[in-house]
Amino acid sequence: MLKLFKTILKTGDATLKYPFAPAPVCDNFRGKPEYTPEQCIACGACAVACPPNAITMKARPEAGTHTWELFLGNCIFCGRCEEVCPTKAIVLSKEFELAVGNKADLYQNATFRIANCACCGKPFAPQKAVEYAIDVLKQTGANAQVVEERRKLLETCSDCKRKQSIHAGEMIELRRYLDEGKDA
Amino acid sequence: MNAPITIARQGTGMPQPIRQSEEIQKLKGTLLKDIQRSAYVYRVDCGGCNGCEIEIFASITPLFDAERFGIKVVASPRHADILLFTGAVTRAMRMPAIRSYEAAPDPKICVSYGACGCGGGIFHDMYCVWGGSDKIVPIDVYIPGCPPTPAATIYGFAMALGLLNQKLKATSHVQGESERVKLRHPGVPAELRVLIEREARRMAGYRMGADIADDFLGILGTKSSESLEARIQEYLAKENDPRLSEIVTNLCDISMKAIAAN
Repeated sequence: MLKLFKTILKTGDATLKYPFAPAPVCDNFRGKPEYTPEQCIACGACAVACPPNAITMKARPEAGTHTWELFLGNCIFCGRCEEVCPTKAIVLSKEFELAVGNKADLYQNATFRIANCACCGKPFAPQKAVEYAIDVLKQTGANAQVVEERRKLLETCSDCKRKQSIHAGEMIELRRYLDEGKDA
Repeated sequence: MNAPITIARQGTGMPQPIRQSEEIQKLKGTLLKDIQRSAYVYRVDCGGCNGCEIEIFASITPLFDAERFGIKVVASPRHADILLFTGAVTRAMRMPAIRSYEAAPDPKICVSYGACGCGGGIFHDMYCVWGGSDKIVPIDVYIPGCPPTPAATIYGFAMALGLLNQKLKATSHVQGESERVKLRHPGVPAELRVLIEREARRMAGYRMGADIADDFLGILGTKSSESLEARIQEYLAKENDPRLSEIVTNLCDISMKAIAAN
């Protein structure tokens, strides 16, 4: 009997002190996705990667906005959004105390502006994504002249780009086929 | 005992979630204000994958020991104070779930447990799924997670009993006027960054590879009086992982080659 008590005393308390003390969390724990909207370029890679569609992107061209939304209720904490994010705007934290009484508190959203095409004026891509592309171009060591030339290209929508390349290039023959296609 | 259950329907013919009368809500409020007894939990499986059940039972093991707060898992809804709804509510499990809700005595606390319970989770758009337990019964607390860890479960129970406060708040952001994204590792040429990220991900997998590339580029990009090799040796000694050492040696080779080529 005494021996048993000795063993018990030596073993100590196995029960965690949580919630009176913080629960130990391991290094690679995948908790709440922490989102930094300032760092987001609204490219939508996370929305494509998200298996349960907890992250969604909605474009409203008439309002000129692009809305990113995360519904934590559907999140399965797989970390795919973190993997694909080119700017590390979303990182899984160690936060796990996510219970809420009101479902609306599980939603997070961010609204971004859409840039208009420099040529036709139609909305075509998030403004921050276009600016980011220009910044990356500068980082590759391109000189100011090249950047200015490419800027026009980056600020043009794909439709206008196609038309322009046909106009400017030496593929005048191609243009004839394009016009013929329109008539038919 | 098994009296027929009638469910109110909307104009479109779809069944409405069950509503709680105001008297019962008031009763629940007074009970929660001064709860001086154990809270018994009955878990209702509405068609889940059993991951949530495993975590619920993990949270009543001696390591987490929810029973020290009087939270006990019981075998019948007739004993229950708290109903835990797990699973995405499949068409077949909807009626059994409603039956156990009806069987539990008032006032009862309903908890939506896991990603599936909160909004359908990964099954949210399947044809036979209702997408969340709040589509059938009134829910008091949502515990997201896939599955929630035992610690998150205990936190959720404490919130349901009004012992702890909610931490999470909804956030909304609108793009500011001069908001611009910070480039990562501006000190490293973009081509070299791509080469390093690709090699790290090839060797360590997508997520860990990105983390390793991030650390390495951080060391490469910062200017310091110490030589690059010394700083990398210091980093490797700190991490003390032979796998990481091999990967970082490869990354070093790549960056040396790139620098020599320029």
